[in-house]
Amino acid sequence: MTTQLSLTTGPRSDGVMVLTPVGEIDMSNAGTFAAALAEALGRAGSDQLVVDLTRVEYIDSAGLAALFEHVERIQLVAGPLLAPLLTIAGLADLTTVEG
Amino acid sequence: MGGTGHDRLPTAGIDVFTGGGEVGRDLAAVDWESTPLGPPAGWPQSLQTAVSILLSSRFPMWMAWGPELTFFCNAAYRRDTLGRKYPWALGRRASEVWAEIWDDIGPRIATVLGTGQATWDEALLLFLERSGYREESYHTFSYSPLRDDDGALVGMLCVVSEETERVLGERRMATLRDLGSDPSVVRTELEMLTFVGQQLSRNPRDLPFTLTYLFQDDGRARLAAATGIPAGHPAAPLTVGIEGAGEVWPAATLARAESALVDLDDAGLPGGDWPEPPTQALLVPLLRQGAAPYGFLVAALNRYRALDHAYRGFVELAAGHVAAGIASARSYQAQQRRAEELAELDRAKTAFFSNISHEFRTPLTLIMGPVQELRAYLGDANERVREELDVINRNALRLGKLVNTLLDFSRIEAGRMQARYEPVDLGVSTAELASAFRSAVDRAGLAFEVDCPPLSPAVYIDRGMWEKVVLNLLSNALKFTFEGSVRVAVRAEEGQAVVTVADTGIGVAEKEMPRLFERFHRIENARSRSNEGSGIGLALVKELVAQHGGTITADSEVGKGTVFTIRLPFGAGHLPADSLGPAAGAVAVSATADPYVQEALRWLPNGVERPEVASPAPANANPVKVLVADDNADMRDYLVRLLRTAGHRVDAVRDGQEALVAVRVDTYDLVVSDVMMPRLDGLQLVAALRADPRTAGTPVLLLSARAGEEASIEGLEAGADDYLVKPFSAAELLARVRANVELARLRTHHARWRTALVDSLQEAFFVCDENGAVIEINAAFTDILGFGPEGLPYAPIHPWWPREEVDAEAYQLVADAFATLLRQTHGSYTIPVDHRDGHRLWAAAAFNQVVDPDNGRRVIVGTFRDVTDEHYAIQRESALAGLSLRLSEADDLADGLRGALDELHELWHARYVLAAVFEDDSADPAVTATDPGLRWAGLPEARRETLTALRDRPLLTPVAERTAGAGIVLEHPRGTLVLWVELGEKRPFTEQDRTLLALLAGHIGQGLRRVHQIDQQRETALALQRAILGPAELPIGFAVRYEPATRPLKVGGDWYDTVRLPDGRIGIVVGDCVGHGLPAATVMGQLRSACRALLLQFASPAQTLTALDRFAAQLPGAPCATVFCGVLDPGTGHLRYSSAGHPPAVVVDAAGAPHLLDRGQSRPIAVSSDGPRTEAEFTVPPRATLMLYTDGLVERRRYPVSAGIERATAAIQAGQRTPVEELADDVMTRLAPADGYDDDVALLLYRHPAPLEIEFPADAARLAQVRGALRGWLELCGVDRIMAQNVLVAAGEACANAIEHGHRDAPAGRIRLSATATVEDLRLVVVDSGRWKIPQSALDTHRGRGLMLMRALMQEVTVTTGLAGTTVEMQARISP
Repeated sequence: MTTQLSLTTGPRSDGVMVLTPVGEIDMSNAGTFAAALAEALGRAGSDQLVVDLTRVEYIDSAGLAALFEHVERIQLVAGPLLAPLLTIAGLADLTTVEG
Repeated sequence: MGGTGHDRLPTAGIDVFTGGGEVGRDLAAVDWESTPLGPPAGWPQSLQTAVSILLSSRFPMWMAWGPELTFFCNAAYRRDTLGRKYPWALGRRASEVWAEIWDDIGPRIATVLGTGQATWDEALLLFLERSGYREESYHTFSYSPLRDDDGALVGMLCVVSEETERVLGERRMATLRDLGSDPSVVRTELEMLTFVGQQLSRNPRDLPFTLTYLFQDDGRARLAAATGIPAGHPAAPLTVGIEGAGEVWPAATLARAESALVDLDDAGLPGGDWPEPPTQALLVPLLRQGAAPYGFLVAALNRYRALDHAYRGFVELAAGHVAAGIASARSYQAQQRRAEELAELDRAKTAFFSNISHEFRTPLTLIMGPVQELRAYLGDANERVREELDVINRNALRLGKLVNTLLDFSRIEAGRMQARYEPVDLGVSTAELASAFRSAVDRAGLAFEVDCPPLSPAVYIDRGMWEKVVLNLLSNALKFTFEGSVRVAVRAEEGQAVVTVADTGIGVAEKEMPRLFERFHRIENARSRSNEGSGIGLALVKELVAQHGGTITADSEVGKGTVFTIRLPFGAGHLPADSLGPAAGAVAVSATADPYVQEALRWLPNGVERPEVASPAPANANPVKVLVADDNADMRDYLVRLLRTAGHRVDAVRDGQEALVAVRVDTYDLVVSDVMMPRLDGLQLVAALRADPRTAGTPVLLLSARAGEEASIEGLEAGADDYLVKPFSAAELLARVRANVELARLRTHHARWRTALVDSLQEAFFVCDENGAVIEINAAFTDILGFGPEGLPYAPIHPWWPREEVDAEAYQLVADAFATLLRQTHGSYTIPVDHRDGHRLWAAAAFNQVVDPDNGRRVIVGTFRDVTDEHYAIQRESALAGLSLRLSEADDLADGLRGALDELHELWHARYVLAAVFEDDSADPAVTATDPGLRWAGLPEARRETLTALRDRPLLTPVAERTAGAGIVLEHPRGTLVLWVELGEKRPFTEQDRTLLALLAGHIGQGLRRVHQIDQQRETALALQRAILGPAELPIGFAVRYEPATRPLKVGGDWYDTVRLPDGRIGIVVGDCVGHGLPAATVMGQLRSACRALLLQFASPAQTLTALDRFAAQLPGAPCATVFCGVLDPGTGHLRYSSAGHPPAVVVDAAGAPHLLDRGQSRPIAVSSDGPRTEAEFTVPPRATLMLYTDGLVERRRYPVSAGIERATAAIQAGQRTPVEELADDVMTRLAPADGYDDDVALLLYRHPAPLEIEFPADAARLAQVRGALRGWLELCGVDRIMAQNVLVAAGEACANAIEHGHRDAPAGRIRLSATATVEDLRLVVVDSGRWKIPQSALDTHRGRGLMLMRALMQEVTVTTGLAGTTVEMQARISP
């Protein structure tokens, strides 16, 4: 049983590119997540990419490592479940907590 | 002096003096140019060498060199000899330096220089003037020649040692030694002074003349001796006044015991050895101890010696010798004078007695003759008359003997002894004499050895005198010998006939020995068969032996005996020729011996001291009881006869001691006692009687031969009631007796009645004085304790007290009781006492203090009875009861044995009690002891041997070891038990102790056997129980305990069980069967199995129990069991349960709130009832603890069960942070009573949720699944989402690490995650089989971040990496 994760990339209504992972990110699928992130950044061009983590139930250090590679170009949106983790990991500056 | 010039510079060549120290410097300063030797620089080598040798030597030397014999010396010579002539002498002519002795030494030096031969002089007297006067000095020296470089004789070297001190010391010592030499010849003062004078005159150098003056009564000192000067010389006046000036010698100063130094200026005084008269005299007192000096010694002093310390000491010591001599001479003189006076007194006494004796002889003859005739004439008269005549005859004989002895003395003194010496065989004649004494010695119970073989050549003896010698010695031996033997022996030894008479009697003290043969000397207070005697016998013997030219000596040792040894020369050469006669042939000895033998026989008991003969029946019904005490048998018999004739009842004794005993045993109306008696005399008897309250009232009539007012006053003062002087008339005696008895009877009527009353008491009665001395007792007292009235008073410590050194404990009991007796006005106590024959009794006593109405003194009156039997019965009963209790309470054999030993230990207050169980022959026995440190190996060798030996003794037969303890053998279930009670020293093991030990040992044996049986059953039951219950494969989250009761036979009713049901739920059961032991265990096993099977079948508690009812109904012993049965869903905590009469289960939730699961309650198993069993439900909340138990946990006597449940609940509440396994222990411990559970206990705990345990392969793909399981468990634990997320991430990181790092090298490895919850925290452990690495590369960056996340998310993280793998432990606190 592999870890459940679906990845969606598309522009928001204001045109900002958004990557929306749903499910869990761990070392088994961190590669997939990193690839999707790279692809989404490509699509965003020189604009900032928003990664919407509000529907991610779990993310571990492998997933966080993918985010750290692009900290200068991404914005994070997270729910209350993930927010403490992101704060501890040092990503609080990029993060908007919703919900 | 002079000659040295200090202003002159040292000349060249002065090196010769270097190294000579001060003397060298002074030599260098000499003006050598003015001497013939010239400046040292020009001295020949030989002179320089001689000077350096001289200066460097430490031996005294001087030398002379050159034509003028110029003087050199060294430092040692300067010190010893030269004195004040230094440094003047240096560089001068020798003849000038030693001018005063040049006459002596000049010729010697001339000889040396003339001949080249050395001289030698030893201790030569030389008068030196080195100290300011001409001094007597002695020198040992040698002069040797010195040659110049050419070999010519130019000088001499003198090596000298001064010996003045030695010579003077020896001379003075010689004088003192002579003064102290053999003074034995010196007797009188004059002789002594002559002797002293001779000695002093032999030292005319130290003592040119001496004068000895002795002080006289007239205040002047008399010249007693003079040496070196004629008496009457102006300096030696015949007397010197003590008062007034102008006397030659200051006697007054000396009379004050002070010394004086007097200057002499008389040129005419003799100088002793010296050419010139002395210039001083030292006067020293002749000191007398404790009084003024005897006189003084004038010692003219040697003018050639200074009066130094040694000289003064010598004179004083010489004076001391003179004083000592005078003292001994004067004391000898005084003794001499005294001895002469005594001899004169003796002579006078003898003269007086012999005169008197002459006067006696005529009347004696006139008594004895007619008495002899009367005896013959009245031979068939009545016995009474014959007895009276015998008395007269015997006493006349005695008087005659005394008179004859005195006459012998006066004859010897006057030299008128008419002796007729004839040759006899001394052995034969002595044996004949001795045989006369045989009957008397036999009757005295003594062995009589006569060892007198025929002896030749003949000895000349006067038969009459010799008989007196032998008979006196034999009589003496018999008189002073109470047991043993008397031995007479004759031998030839060293050319003399030797006769010895030896006894084993009382002996003579050493200080009495010198006076043994003295006339009229009697040894006071000697124990003897008779107090009669004049002290003249041995003196006569000595005189008679001396008449024969022989000697007699005595050797004696007190308590051992005395030996008299007579030595007589053989032949007649020593005897006057005109008194010799031919042998007369045998002569019967009896005529002389008779008085001696008769007298001796009267000293001995004649067997019947209370003759029934001539004892007419008392005239009245209440006769007077009289005790007669007299050592003279005739007098005793006379008194007895006289008093019996008067109708009295009479007892007779021989001395005061016997009288005292008799009076204490029996009551007398009157004691008639002689004053002079051996052992205890009449006056002492009266004093002893008066001192004892029991006898104080007994009237005493004293009889004495000593007449005079003073004697009777002395007797009456001692407390006698009356006093009668011998001779007295019969009528007078009887009148006095009657008067005293009547008076005393009036006085003592009351006392007699009281005595009779007290004696009639069944209980022992006693009276103590205020000090605790027992002063009165009754007959029962004597019956019980064996101590009779004759020993009164009994002072504490009383003789019936147990002896402290034998039985300290018993002694202490009595001592305590005694203290009570003295302190309190009344009371009672029970104490151990020892009978006179040694056996132990227990006495219960009661006492009261009362005041003696007669004298107002406080006395203690008490009674006691013998409670020995009761005491031991009680002791036995209580010991048995205690022992039975201990054995019945015992859990097992060891416990039973320990208990029994404790009982014995306490009972005997033993040092320790020990049991050794011998199981087989080879091994050491198993030892149990009250002293827990005691081991077989630690016992003394001797004790181990005792115990091993005991093992083969008959069973239950005590063996006591004196003052150590006792042992006994009994059967033990495992072998032979040797029991040992170690009492320690000073504790006897009595007969009662032995009986008790045997009794108790029997009980111990039985008790141990019973305990062993019970124990065995219990062991079996326990084994069965444990076999049934375990080892259980418990589902996770559960903990169970079973504890048998500590008391015996309480095994086997309770059980617990868990059953995994097919649907994942778990059946839980706790039950309790009726009864205990093996049967209950069997029933329990069957019920448990049945319940298990039924649960699997029904999965419903109520249905299970209902089915169990049916099963149990068929199983004997099963009905009435109680069971709690539940089915738990571990995933949800949901519990369905039903109880068959069982105590409710308890749930304590995370907040600590208790929940009693008391619904679903119904009847016990197989108890008929109408309703169906019901079920209840309960959901165990997260982190709550469920507890099931049996009543043994919570039931306590005198407490409601609810209290017990509350205590159990409290234990769970306190242990919510504790893992459930540990909590089970805690609960069992906390609820256990002090002495253990008295019923068995089953306990089952469950903590919800059960810990999570997951094991998975190291594969990232499995992480999601693991997370899922953990997420679900966290939900069961009731933690919130945020915390759950934190825990999930931390656990996820740990697992990711384990996969990534731990298993890079071994991909097939497995990872284990476990999670446990307590009430306030979560604990996670991730274990892999790999080794983590410290992040090093960029690749590892996010792994490092993973570790950081774990630490940030959890409260505590530890990573332990070992060879077997890595363990991560994490803990998170659950926020309330």
